[in-house]
Amino acid sequence: MSDARSTILSAIRAALGRRRGGSAMADEVTIAAEAEHLRARADATRPDRLRGGAENAFLERLVSPAVAATAERVASLSDFPAAVRRYLTAQGLASSVALQPHPDLLALDWSGIETHGQIGIDEPVAVGLALGAIAETGTLVFHSGPTSPTLFAFFPTHHIVAVETGRIWNWLEDYADAFAGCAQPRNVNLITGASGTTDIEGTLVRGAHGPGWLHVVLFGSAAPSPDRPVATDPPHFTSLDNVK
Amino acid sequence: MSGARERLSFDARVRDALADPLLKVAIDRTTGNARTKRAAAMAAWPGFSSARELGRDIKDHVIAHLDHYLVQFERNARASGAQVHWALSGPEACDIVVAICRKAGARTVTRSKSMLGEEIGLPHALQEAAIERVETDLAEHIIQLAGDPPSHIIWPALHKTREQVAELFHAHHHDPGTLDSIEAMVASARRELRGRYLAADVGISGANFLIADTGAVCTVTNEGNAELTTTPPRVHIVTAGIEKLVPSCAHAMAMLRLLVRSATGAELTQYTTFHCGPKRAGDLDGPAEFHIVLIDGGRTRMLAEGLAEMLRCIRCGACLNHCVVYRQIGGHAYGSVYPGPMGSVLTPMLDGLPQSKDLPRACTLNGQCQEVCPVAIPLPTLLRGWRDRIWSTGLESVTVRQGFAVWRFLALHPALYRQASAMAVWMMAWFARGGWIARMPLAGGWTRYRDMPRPPRRPFIAQYRRRMPRP
Repeated sequence: MSDARSTILSAIRAALGRRRGGSAMADEVTIAAEAEHLRARADATRPDRLRGGAENAFLERLVSPAVAATAERVASLSDFPAAVRRYLTAQGLASSVALQPHPDLLALDWSGIETHGQIGIDEPVAVGLALGAIAETGTLVFHSGPTSPTLFAFFPTHHIVAVETGRIWNWLEDYADAFAGCAQPRNVNLITGASGTTDIEGTLVRGAHGPGWLHVVLFGSAAPSPDRPVATDPPHFTSLDNVK
Repeated sequence: MSGARERLSFDARVRDALADPLLKVAIDRTTGNARTKRAAAMAAWPGFSSARELGRDIKDHVIAHLDHYLVQFERNARASGAQVHWALSGPEACDIVVAICRKAGARTVTRSKSMLGEEIGLPHALQEAAIERVETDLAEHIIQLAGDPPSHIIWPALHKTREQVAELFHAHHHDPGTLDSIEAMVASARRELRGRYLAADVGISGANFLIADTGAVCTVTNEGNAELTTTPPRVHIVTAGIEKLVPSCAHAMAMLRLLVRSATGAELTQYTTFHCGPKRAGDLDGPAEFHIVLIDGGRTRMLAEGLAEMLRCIRCGACLNHCVVYRQIGGHAYGSVYPGPMGSVLTPMLDGLPQSKDLPRACTLNGQCQEVCPVAIPLPTLLRGWRDRIWSTGLESVTVRQGFAVWRFLALHPALYRQASAMAVWMMAWFARGGWIARMPLAGGWTRYRDMPRPPRRPFIAQYRRRMPRP
């Protein structure tokens, strides 16, 4: 429908009082500057939330009634399987999990737990690794890719996710800025708590169509070090950006 | 809108709504919850008023450069592998969607809630094309079972009480279980829909934001059904209004803060997803084809005809929840896809003013809608604009015109006006002997459903004269 395209664009230009074929390039610079100015204004409007640091703010938000996930801290990713085992025992779940096919997870010692790479639509438990997290909203970030299939976050009843402390962005915009200009994955999934619905009388019920439980295991130290730069450093992510 | 209800006059639909005691219960439960949660979210966010100005300015910026951003979005979406289609009207958009479905050999499509889909009549078009449509959003699932149109833009099944939902699920679900709580109803719907996700040939969703600089489509949902709708099928189709653009992902974030708090009182929905093109090499899931249908559907006319401010609307539904009229009559009485204040501004443009001239009048102009709007749309002003147009194009009924003629005559003769209003107040006081006015000539439309409060003993001017010191 290329006809519809030109009709719509002409109608917009006519409504905006713009002449056909005006100085588009000059405009683009002005438009970009205006957009940048608007972007900068967002910083002052954000809720005051990060006085205790990104890690604390993230955890606080994550376990708040509004997000209602559960969380724990471990020293390093190698402690993740033990945390998963503890969770399965505490919840009375079978020791069988769908394991997100991420090399960092596959390299761990999962003895005592049966793991499989295929996920079923009624999978009881999936175990995954988030790309990072956002402190402001208690949000986990996933980029779809060969090592991070989208449905791992939507099929299971329980989703247990590891995320590295050094990969917590302060604000929503910090995440966006970190990937500005980068190639986009097919799906970016920002996940804030277990699935829920308020569609019947406005009453919140968890476990609508996605997971009913979200458990987050935070590992590592927040302190930047030469081999673990802070999360807002974009080059840090290129190595882990599993869509490239 | 389906069937008989649509053929009734606005007055008749309102009468039906007011006479339905369950409807009032249902509306109060959901809108009451929504208002409380929104108020709490705003109280915890001192930056709201400046964020709202920013939201307004971002949308105005995009609208002022809409051609630029549309072209940029299209270029980037195509670069990501998406197929971009353009449609002037709802029927044209439906034709495109149906053609994609047919080409994919689709027998079943899953659909994640999109008000634009309702606006363009997509459910009907799919039915005409003999393609089975499975609504996966819980509320849409409820109203699909009930055969109802949506009655709210965030909670389409708001008009159903939990008891009515239980009855529906009991009648239609294969394994409904006890249905003795809302949790049990949600679980029953989960079981019922689970198998449908993998069986669908095409998944259809809407868009909350179109990200110009990446070509991504942002959707915000809570249930998880959207990703289950858009990931497994071989084909994913997005229908989106051309006004949904934002310059970048960072701008979308600023808009998300406003949208989600205004809609549900949460800070962010459980799932905020940016869809960018089809499945990539090596991806283990995702659709092989990704289509985006960009739809005008009257939006360029809104831009040309003085309704550009309405193109800011991010469909949060806060104006509905705070509207004293919506809260009395619910969504169906409006007879349009979009109800409430935003619907009363949009519908005359989408459906034509003669068909919807009652809607701009179904408003007290109390300004609540504008106050809560996260992008500061001057809804009362836009509604007044429609009223002006109704008057100037001669669409006003003879009764109303005569009423205004009488009022005009009185207003131009202040002594008479004061006498008339004093007499009216005296009469109302007489009817309010029991404390409230339960019945009064010419006020049946009000008193049939509720009592009217007793007016002050004296009209305003008389009170003013008594209180002001004489010079």
